[in-house]
Amino acid sequence: MAGRCPPVALDRLAGEHSVLFIRSEQLFDLARRNSLFYLSYGIACCAIEGLMSAGGPRFDYDRFGIFHRGSPRQTDVMIVAGTVNKKMAPVLRRLYDQMAEPKWVIAMGACASTGGPFREYPNVVLGVDQVVPVDVWVPGCPPRPESMQYAFMQLQLKIKAQTRERLDAR
Amino acid sequence: MTDEELMRVRGIRPEGAYTATVLPKGLRRLPKGCDELATEHLILNAGPQHPSTHGVLHILLELDGEEVVAAEASLGYLHRGVEKLAESRRYHQVGTLLDRADYVSGLHSETAFAMAVEQLAGIEVPRKASWIRSLTMELNRIASHLVWMGTFGLDAGAMAPFLYVMRDREAIIGILEAITGSRMMFNYVRPGGVLADLPVGIEQRIRAFLSTFPGFLDENDALLGGNEIFRARVQGVGVIDRHTALAFGMSGGCLRATGVDYDVRRARPYCAYPEIDFDVPLGERGDNWDRYVVRVGEMRQATRMVEQLLDGMPEGEFTAKVPKVLRPPAGESYAAVESPRGELGIHLVSDGGPTPYRMRVRSPAYYNLAVVDEALAGGLLADAIVTLGSLDIVLGEIDR
Amino acid sequence: MPASRLADILSKAGVACEPSDEALGAVVRLEAARITDALAALLSDGFGFLVDLFATDTGEAIELTYHVRSLKRLEDAYLKTTVTYDGEAPSVWRVYPAALYAEREAAELFGMAFPGHPNPKRLLTVEGTEPLLRKSIAIREAGEVRLS
Repeated sequence: MAGRCPPVALDRLAGEHSVLFIRSEQLFDLARRNSLFYLSYGIACCAIEGLMSAGGPRFDYDRFGIFHRGSPRQTDVMIVAGTVNKKMAPVLRRLYDQMAEPKWVIAMGACASTGGPFREYPNVVLGVDQVVPVDVWVPGCPPRPESMQYAFMQLQLKIKAQTRERLDAR
Repeated sequence: MTDEELMRVRGIRPEGAYTATVLPKGLRRLPKGCDELATEHLILNAGPQHPSTHGVLHILLELDGEEVVAAEASLGYLHRGVEKLAESRRYHQVGTLLDRADYVSGLHSETAFAMAVEQLAGIEVPRKASWIRSLTMELNRIASHLVWMGTFGLDAGAMAPFLYVMRDREAIIGILEAITGSRMMFNYVRPGGVLADLPVGIEQRIRAFLSTFPGFLDENDALLGGNEIFRARVQGVGVIDRHTALAFGMSGGCLRATGVDYDVRRARPYCAYPEIDFDVPLGERGDNWDRYVVRVGEMRQATRMVEQLLDGMPEGEFTAKVPKVLRPPAGESYAAVESPRGELGIHLVSDGGPTPYRMRVRSPAYYNLAVVDEALAGGLLADAIVTLGSLDIVLGEIDR
Repeated sequence: MPASRLADILSKAGVACEPSDEALGAVVRLEAARITDALAALLSDGFGFLVDLFATDTGEAIELTYHVRSLKRLEDAYLKTTVTYDGEAPSVWRVYPAALYAEREAAELFGMAFPGHPNPKRLLTVEGTEPLLRKSIAIREAGEVRLS
């Protein structure tokens, strides 16, 4: 009806895109996205690029809030950087199980994605997604440090999308 | 043969000889209640996930409190078949596998392989190609030692030098990327020469690097080596004397730190090394400090060498004419280079076909690591970590 | 250095061998049972450094190569011996402790044994892995490795 005024002002204050309130869920999501700690677990060559160089002074992970931790209990992300073989796979699974929820896995490089240049050797596992669930795959041999930072940006978008799905499902 | 016979055979005075005092069976697993406190020895896994195992090295340590009673290395977490897969690659493709074996200094492995193929096939490498090989190898040596220095500091607890050395390493990797096309998996040295000539303008770039690097190296050395806490952690710790080092087949910085003057660049000269001037730093005692000093000295010498190589770079071809599908005649050859870790040798067996019949990588870190079962015992756990770091191991070439 | 000099050193120690000067260098071939005595003789002659110990699958048998060096004289010598599949060669760890890891690796990747080795466990692979470096074990086919 003509006299009915939509509650725009109130929506601005306390609704979906509020300027005063934030859902705790959104706050946690903001915190998780911007302080992803990864496990220092450098299996092979990709570790030099994706863990050491990307965290170094030129490329710098820290500006994203990304930092390395030694213990799986204190991390959110496991970057699988290198070839996984039959001796390594149970260790990898155990480390993944030791990480606390919420946790994500980035499969870095060709070896972690599909077995890479070593896929023909019977001792190599064809991709780490046979052992742990993977969130982001990064191509390259090795991927440049910028690729790894882009992967983290994609992971941040994925986390945001997951939170969005959880909120919408309610 | 018994130890007495062995000492007689070695002809060395008994107090200097290496003899196995305890049978190297691995962990002793002494039972509960072995001393008056009724304590038990703890078996601790150092690795395969550990910030300072330099890759996926798994050392089982039997601890009596903080003291390491026995140590045993469990390898193979990165065993991905470099030697087996080389049997199904053409000769110019094997470099891609060897880049990933010793991934911190790939150019050295590629050069050793190229030299082994050239010995078999009788290919003569043009002088310019040899000089380019030496130039890129010395730059790679500096880059590898910088990584080692950063991680060695991290092992001892010093976190700042790591970021400083990564700054210098990025400068070198940028130069190598301009020359070879890749930051880490160079695939540049091929049998017969190198893949492409040096790009235009690279000389200015390297000279710009050389003008600032010695100052930065002194800064990094003062930051880490000048720190008295670091010195207290590494001096006198992890002593591996020359007889033990020779008995275990150690080479490179680990052997020169004990005072043995053996450098493949001097003993079996290759590429441009006979024509340039350099010193070989030696240590005295073979402790962690000597290994540190030797490697920092090698970085300084490498800087000298890069300058000489740039000044004297000859004109000419960057590669000999080799067929696309190289078929060296049947036979065997062995070629060795001085990689940052030691003597890296490639033993190549050819049957006349387009792929190698057998390629054996004599990896220096493999033989340097074998001493760990002996050298870590008797020290403290913290010292064991630092000693492991001083050996400069890369698991890619140990496990192949 | 001619291979005949190596043969002289070994015959003084009572080990029969066949010398041959090849492109590789001075090579002597002998039987597996005498390898420890041969290496001890070379050690007392000054070859104090074991450069490498590895195996090759010749198609009919396993050929072991022992590459030793005298650092003072900068001379290299190669000793080769043949062992049958699943055969044995004595462990030389008491002469050259550098052989400790190399023998374990050769044993598991080629399927043979080194009696006298103090720690004859697998080094690189898990229990149940076949001897991967033998020629009879093939690498994966293209169809197996393609993403489906």
